[in-house]
Amino acid sequence: MLLDNLDPLLRALGTTLVVLLVSAAGSLLLGILVTVARVSPVPVLRAAAFGYVQLFVNVPLLALLLLAVFALPDAGLVMPLTTTVIVVLVVYEAAYVAEAVRSGVNSVPPGQVEAARALGFTLTQVLRLVIVPQALRTVVQPLGNVMIALLMNTALAATVGVVELTSAVNKVNLVEAQPIPIFAAAGLVYMAIALAIGLAAGRIEKKVAISR
Amino acid sequence: MLLALAAGVPLTAAGCGSDSDSGTSAVPGATSSDSGLQAVYDAAPRAEDSAMPAGSTMAAIKDRGKLRVAAALDAPLLSQQDPTNPDNIEGFDIDLAKLLAIYILGKPEIEVIPPASETREALLANGTVDVVFNTYTITEERAQQISFAGPYFTSGLAVAVEADNTDIKSVEDLAGKTVIVGANTPAVTAVPERQPTAEVVSFATDPQAVQALTQGRGDAYVQDYTLLAADAASNRDIKIVGQPFTEEPYGIGLKHDDADFKQFVNTWLKAIEDDGSWTQVWEATLGTVSDSAAPTPPAIGSVPGS
Repeated sequence: MLLDNLDPLLRALGTTLVVLLVSAAGSLLLGILVTVARVSPVPVLRAAAFGYVQLFVNVPLLALLLLAVFALPDAGLVMPLTTTVIVVLVVYEAAYVAEAVRSGVNSVPPGQVEAARALGFTLTQVLRLVIVPQALRTVVQPLGNVMIALLMNTALAATVGVVELTSAVNKVNLVEAQPIPIFAAAGLVYMAIALAIGLAAGRIEKKVAISR
Repeated sequence: MLLALAAGVPLTAAGCGSDSDSGTSAVPGATSSDSGLQAVYDAAPRAEDSAMPAGSTMAAIKDRGKLRVAAALDAPLLSQQDPTNPDNIEGFDIDLAKLLAIYILGKPEIEVIPPASETREALLANGTVDVVFNTYTITEERAQQISFAGPYFTSGLAVAVEADNTDIKSVEDLAGKTVIVGANTPAVTAVPERQPTAEVVSFATDPQAVQALTQGRGDAYVQDYTLLAADAASNRDIKIVGQPFTEEPYGIGLKHDDADFKQFVNTWLKAIEDDGSWTQVWEATLGTVSDSAAPTPPAIGSVPGS
């Protein structure tokens, strides 16, 4: 039953993985930049970063997806569906990444920052060499959880026409009408990917953890 | 004779369908029905008294002076109530119901009871309504509980495109095209069966799919004909091309085991199909948003369960 449809299902799984990996890289990068803005001494940047996080943490992802897919074209911006979904996932998950990284920043002892300033480090150097590396090393596991949430959120792409794993499984079920085994199998695939992310996060954390 | 009518009527329909006649009304088809269908009502066939013997369902309806119909009030082009004038209900289903009322009573006197899909069999069984006109697909399972006259219309999946699209004229032209479908609708599987090279994009709801079509995310949108007709009626940017390419036979629901009434309704249906009233009702309702000629009505009794 699932084997008959293996080819389209594998292609859909590929789409899920592409969306996951690209959005993960993008949201980590953007999230870190937002955190840097959030802790910077420039009030405008701090306010903008605060507003950004509040906006995306408080609006449901589905609403954002529908807006991006159906409202942006009316404003003259038509992007391919998969691209649109990736962009929305990046900006949405970046807010959660930013919150996770900010908790890491708070774990960096203020004395270190003061010491760095006393040694003549510029603001950029303080951020790049002292704060961000240490912050990231303390929040590996929380970031892993954000990435697992991102994986689950990729399934929402099915509602706006992207043929990823959930959408493909839906199609198979429409023909076979065997929802329990079909969706259970898809659930196992998601679980396997989530476990892999969790295990990788655990490994990385062990390597980079700072013992204080 | 029917062929001659079917070939002749679209010429006139094409002439009046494109002017303001159908474009200015808030309720699709309302204006044209008011003016266009009065003549159909006037000329509609009326049953002989001998066809309605005492004690029959037909006689009971005639004594009551009103045909009780289970029909929707919110289905554009099929059965829609005018919000500013609740007595005014227009559409293909409800206009046929009025013709049946004229056949029995000599006047289009109907009482509409809005059914839910789950309650149609019950409404017939307990005698709340005489007939169901409700895009009621004939199935053998349903036919064990109630009787079906007809089929009186065959719907099915049809193709909608943007109004200015002239490349796509039917499902045959969808090869290699991007086709929008509703998720979890029969179109998801029917489109690849008909056109393996078409790329199918599915959206969760009908409004989303229509929006996607008008924004150019696909070349065509495949959905049930009647649903597309309603979409096309409210959205001037899309149009239906061709006739349905799958079959969904709609029947007139009647109380089970009332063979005389079923025979009577089928006789009426044959009469309005033969004299062209059926085609004229189609032209004034569903036909206002289709760019093709009126379909030939399905053969009565041609479907298992009818």
